[in-house]
Amino acid sequence: MLLRVEKLSKDSILHEVSFEMAEGEMLAVMGPSGSGKSTLLYHAAGMDCPSGGKIWLKDTEITGLTEDEKAKLRLHRMGFVFQQMNMMANLNILDNILLPAVWADRKRSEAELTEKAERLMRKLGISGLEKRRITQVSGGQLQRACICRSMMNEPQILFADEPTGALNQSAAAEVLAELIKINRAGTGILMVSHDCRVACCCDRILYLSDGRICGELALGKLVQGTERQREERVNRWLTELGW
Amino acid sequence: MIKRLIRNDIKQNKLLSCAAVFFMAVSAMLLALAVLLFSGLAGAIGSLAEEAGMPDYMQMHAGVLDEAAVARFAEAHEEVREWQLCRFLNLDNSRITLGGRSLADSTQDNGLCVQGERFDYLLDEENNRPEVLPGEVYVPVCYRNRYDLMVGETMVLSDAGGGGDIELLIAGFLRDAQMNSMMASSKRFLVCETDYEAVKAYGSAHNSAREEYLIEFLLRDGADTNLFGAAYAAEGLPADGPAITGPLIYLMNALSDGTVIFVLFLFSIVILAISMLCIGFMLSLQMERDKREVGMLKALGIGNTGIRRIYFAKYILFSGCGGAVGLFAAFLLKAPLEKQMRELYGMAEGGWQTAVLGCLAVALAEEIILLSVRGALKKTEKLSALEALFSVQKRKTGRVQYLMIGLVTAACTVLVLVPQNLYSTLSDPGFVTYMGIGNAEIRMDVRQAEEIDDVTGRVARMLERDMQVETYAVLRTRSCPAVLADGRTVNLTVETGDCGIFPVSCLEGMLPKTQTEIALSAMNAKELGVAVGDPLRLVTGGKETEYTVCGIYSDITNGGKTAKAYQTDDDAPVIWSVLYVSLRESAKKEQWMRRYRQPGVDVTDIADYVRDTYGQTLGQLRLASCLAAVLSAFVTAVVTVLFMRLLVNKDRYEISLQKALGYTAGDLKRIYFTKGLFPVAAGVFAGLFTGNLSGERLCGTVMKIFGADGFAFVILWERILVLVPAVILGAAVPAVIAGIAEIGRIKACECCMGRE
Repeated sequence: MLLRVEKLSKDSILHEVSFEMAEGEMLAVMGPSGSGKSTLLYHAAGMDCPSGGKIWLKDTEITGLTEDEKAKLRLHRMGFVFQQMNMMANLNILDNILLPAVWADRKRSEAELTEKAERLMRKLGISGLEKRRITQVSGGQLQRACICRSMMNEPQILFADEPTGALNQSAAAEVLAELIKINRAGTGILMVSHDCRVACCCDRILYLSDGRICGELALGKLVQGTERQREERVNRWLTELGW
Repeated sequence: MIKRLIRNDIKQNKLLSCAAVFFMAVSAMLLALAVLLFSGLAGAIGSLAEEAGMPDYMQMHAGVLDEAAVARFAEAHEEVREWQLCRFLNLDNSRITLGGRSLADSTQDNGLCVQGERFDYLLDEENNRPEVLPGEVYVPVCYRNRYDLMVGETMVLSDAGGGGDIELLIAGFLRDAQMNSMMASSKRFLVCETDYEAVKAYGSAHNSAREEYLIEFLLRDGADTNLFGAAYAAEGLPADGPAITGPLIYLMNALSDGTVIFVLFLFSIVILAISMLCIGFMLSLQMERDKREVGMLKALGIGNTGIRRIYFAKYILFSGCGGAVGLFAAFLLKAPLEKQMRELYGMAEGGWQTAVLGCLAVALAEEIILLSVRGALKKTEKLSALEALFSVQKRKTGRVQYLMIGLVTAACTVLVLVPQNLYSTLSDPGFVTYMGIGNAEIRMDVRQAEEIDDVTGRVARMLERDMQVETYAVLRTRSCPAVLADGRTVNLTVETGDCGIFPVSCLEGMLPKTQTEIALSAMNAKELGVAVGDPLRLVTGGKETEYTVCGIYSDITNGGKTAKAYQTDDDAPVIWSVLYVSLRESAKKEQWMRRYRQPGVDVTDIADYVRDTYGQTLGQLRLASCLAAVLSAFVTAVVTVLFMRLLVNKDRYEISLQKALGYTAGDLKRIYFTKGLFPVAAGVFAGLFTGNLSGERLCGTVMKIFGADGFAFVILWERILVLVPAVILGAAVPAVIAGIAEIGRIKACECCMGRE
């Protein structure tokens, strides 16, 4: 098991939420605004302290770690993609991608890391933007750069909070395709999304309402050409749940 | 990576970075300068004292000397390492001409002496013992600037008619470990034995010189000079004159040259506080702006230590640059500031120790500032990644910026004001009341005459008949043994007469008005362990008489150990007498003073006395005042321009919106100019208020250490209300204009582009 959440509670936002996530799984969390989706994601990533419950990443109990230990865990074993594409304004795209890798492994030369970053950038189709400032690229390009950054330390799990939320339709499709590729390569993804088209690409969907899991839909791995049927199925399921 | 982050951050925040380096540099410079000068002065005074073999206890004595009794006393006391008798030929100032300039106005006891036999050497400018040839004289180094003297000029001792009888060639200048300071009331000129005897014979013939003795003791390490002094006095040994201890000489030397260091030290503390405040505030602003980035770093797994390292590294770099600039500036400014000390004490060229000390002071200043940086960073550490990522940036009103401008302006006003007030107080004739001297217009000292009492009486009768004299007071000083509670006796120098005519400042109680009352100097009261109202027994006319301590006053003359009584036994010999005179407005002071000058009677304008005594200190203080004014103006300008710029940046959206609505850049600049000038004006006002109050207390505390208790500023309002605001506003107004210049560059369309 990659991630195990057991009776996770946070004040009045989350109420004894429990679920598991298998290795290499792509899991989406959906729900109305204020249902606690992002809170669940950030707790699972060890960015906040729950008021109750436990979380494990493989054999490591995140809830039992100190802040510094959790930071180390995030740096080495987790990756993050935010809706707002947060990056350091003082660094160019390449340096932003390198940032967590430089911090995680001081022994590796910067040249080596740069080579790895450039390889990732090529893979995600943003090669040539290395020296650009973050204000000099499009939203889609910036989000792909964020994905590159999250993949630099080869995380076991990638947390994505509305990764396509701030993007136009074509950019969103590009970013989603990249996330699927990453998942196919073996990285588990826990994603929060409002977008049905994004969620239907995941292996499984959890529906959260008022801080409780109200439904679960297992879709299995996405097979090319089945997107439309999956989307219809998810839409029906969501309607049943009162979406 | 950190290097790139820092480089890019500096590029984007040039003004903030420059301001941070400026504050760090100024703080480091001032603290390093104060420490370097202090260590230099302390070291120089110490090494001069050592090289010169400065005595630990010295008793001046005018009159017949029982040398054998002193020798017996020295032999009986184990703590005495060495002792010697030095002769001092006290000359009549009106008969001395130095390089063509008369010393008639001098308030010092000027006299000749020969080189000490075993210790208390007078040293030349290389700190060597000069060999004085017949016909030559070595002049105190402090007179070189005072009388604009050069080697090769002459010192002439003339007769009453002004004829040049004895001429000595100035062969060099000397450092006197004991009497270097102008606060020491005597100055020694070094001549050879032959010339000394010749002048002595000449002086006796013309009644223009009187031989006195300096009974000097070198004590073993750890010996208590006060206890030794008490033992000396208890033996009834020759003591017709003030007794001075080693620590007191150190104190006098430190006071004349330490004032500038004190001002610098005070200045460095205030600037350090301003730097901490400004840098802390600038960092808080940056952290508020970068909160989301910090949150992102935390989310990525870069812990508090890493984030601290990223931000702290920049300030380490700033402190390195600021420290280096500050250290360099400190060494540049050190030379002119220590010029006087170098001349008086012969400061040795600083080697690696000076460099290390300077570096340590700089490191201390930087460390203190970095503490405030750490404090500001700690606030961010408490934030969780989520709080930092999703917190809404607070819309601040800019009150803090205005407050900072006001606070810094107030602090800078205080820094300009305090040295100014200290200068005007020390240069005011009224300051003499803290020195144990009456606040009169003219002081007449009768010290040289054979029959001091007779001469005093004669002068007093002349004053009585003189229509130009408004008031006068005659005070005779006698030496009276005081009996302590344990039966021991201590010699007190008691000034008798009506002290109420030209009163000195009393800390407690009042001056004596009846024959059984006595007032003591603060130092004497402390040493004798008596307070106002306590009885004190004096041995007068061979019998003990009980007096009541009616008051305690501040005094830094005659070693700070004096007493004032209305009357004591008139049979005791008068050591010296002083006549204080106040003239009518119609009187011509200079003419009047010339008329009264006669052998044995020094007539001094009190203003000259203050200038003579505090001349060195005032010179240094003037320099420190100028430095304070320049630096305060600079700091005010930097802080004002910085915070006005930050304010305009913060209000960028509103300014753009107002422009879009039709306001012109001129309209907006006028509004911001008024807004910026208001805290400056308020700061100046607050600074003038607090500077006059707290500055007085602070200086009073320091002056108390030196014996001048109950200190109050003499404030020259017309100067303070014009000069100080002019300095601060002169710096702040252009700074406000420069700070709001950005308003002109803000475009009306920015608000529509969402650049809030």
